[in-house]
Amino acid sequence: MCDVCGCNNHNHDNLMKVSDNTGKKNLEIKKSLLSKNDEVAHHNKEHFDKDGVLAVNLISSPGSGKTTLLEKTIEALKDELLIGVLEGDIETERDAERVRAKGAAAVQLTTGGACHLEAPLVHKGYHALKKQLGRAPELLFIENVGNLVCPSSFYLGEDIRVVLISVPEGSDKPAKYPKAFKTSQAFIITKIDLLPFFDFDIEKVKEEALSLNPNLKVFTLSAKTGEGLEEWFNFLREKVKEKKGALQRA
Amino acid sequence: MHEASIAMGLLNSLEELAEKENAKKVVKVKVRIGKLSGIVIDSFVFAFNALKEESPKLKETELIVEEVPLKYRCRECGEEFSCETVFFPECPKCKSINLELISGEELEVVNAEIEV
Repeated sequence: MCDVCGCNNHNHDNLMKVSDNTGKKNLEIKKSLLSKNDEVAHHNKEHFDKDGVLAVNLISSPGSGKTTLLEKTIEALKDELLIGVLEGDIETERDAERVRAKGAAAVQLTTGGACHLEAPLVHKGYHALKKQLGRAPELLFIENVGNLVCPSSFYLGEDIRVVLISVPEGSDKPAKYPKAFKTSQAFIITKIDLLPFFDFDIEKVKEEALSLNPNLKVFTLSAKTGEGLEEWFNFLREKVKEKKGALQRA
Repeated sequence: MHEASIAMGLLNSLEELAEKENAKKVVKVKVRIGKLSGIVIDSFVFAFNALKEESPKLKETELIVEEVPLKYRCRECGEEFSCETVFFPECPKCKSINLELISGEELEVVNAEIEV
């Protein structure tokens, strides 16, 4: 099933004329409203597959700790993997500078007001990143604009979509933002070092998220204390290996 | 507010369609939006009607939205049923929670009427 429009047929461009006798014509279209974005997203996916790069799209509210987790991830994995980052923000180069300081190549994608990344901007960014690196990265992070709603509607060509929520945000996020959880493959609860200070029911959050999407891989971690990070790093190591294996088989 | 970019995308494809079919204008367009598509219908309609003004062939286009409810099929007994919630829904017939979502995620253009 098409994961964007939910349709069961991919013959989106089937355009059929139904009547033609009054000067008015009915045209049956049957096309996803996101078909333009999806075309480019599939093109991005082809690039990622051909280059054997694991693409990870990070989605969360502003301030849930995407960039801090990225910094820690880069610090831990930069000696074993070539990492590239596409940083989506409405304005400023700040996040790209933060991850560059940790040793990853980064391209800042400023959307100039848009609340989510779309596939064409990611396409442009990926080519700029490859130019910067002189080759394709092995692990590509696409850090989406901080927003738990809009980014979930736009497929960018990623292999893995990760949704994050932080302990201070509260336990009700899966219930309030079901789409982000339904379309992701992994779910990270961040800032668990703050659990003693908040009424955050970690088991209830997991249960609600899994009821929306039983295939979600769940991580609980704190980038500050380091708790739970190793499991996340191992997940990435394994997925990068799988992606390279797929390239070699092909 | 990604509804505006999706409305813009729809207007662009209607422009292309009008061009391709040599249409004077697009009279109406029908879309189906699922309850779980992540689209706020009011915002989408608002954005469509605001943005269509820019285009001579589209400024009178009527937008018809069909809202698609959530519908599940029970993997145990095959029962199909509509349901308001995405949380822990259960089959009204056999009470199973082993269900498949069969509609509610739609986000598609169904058809358009043009004047030639």
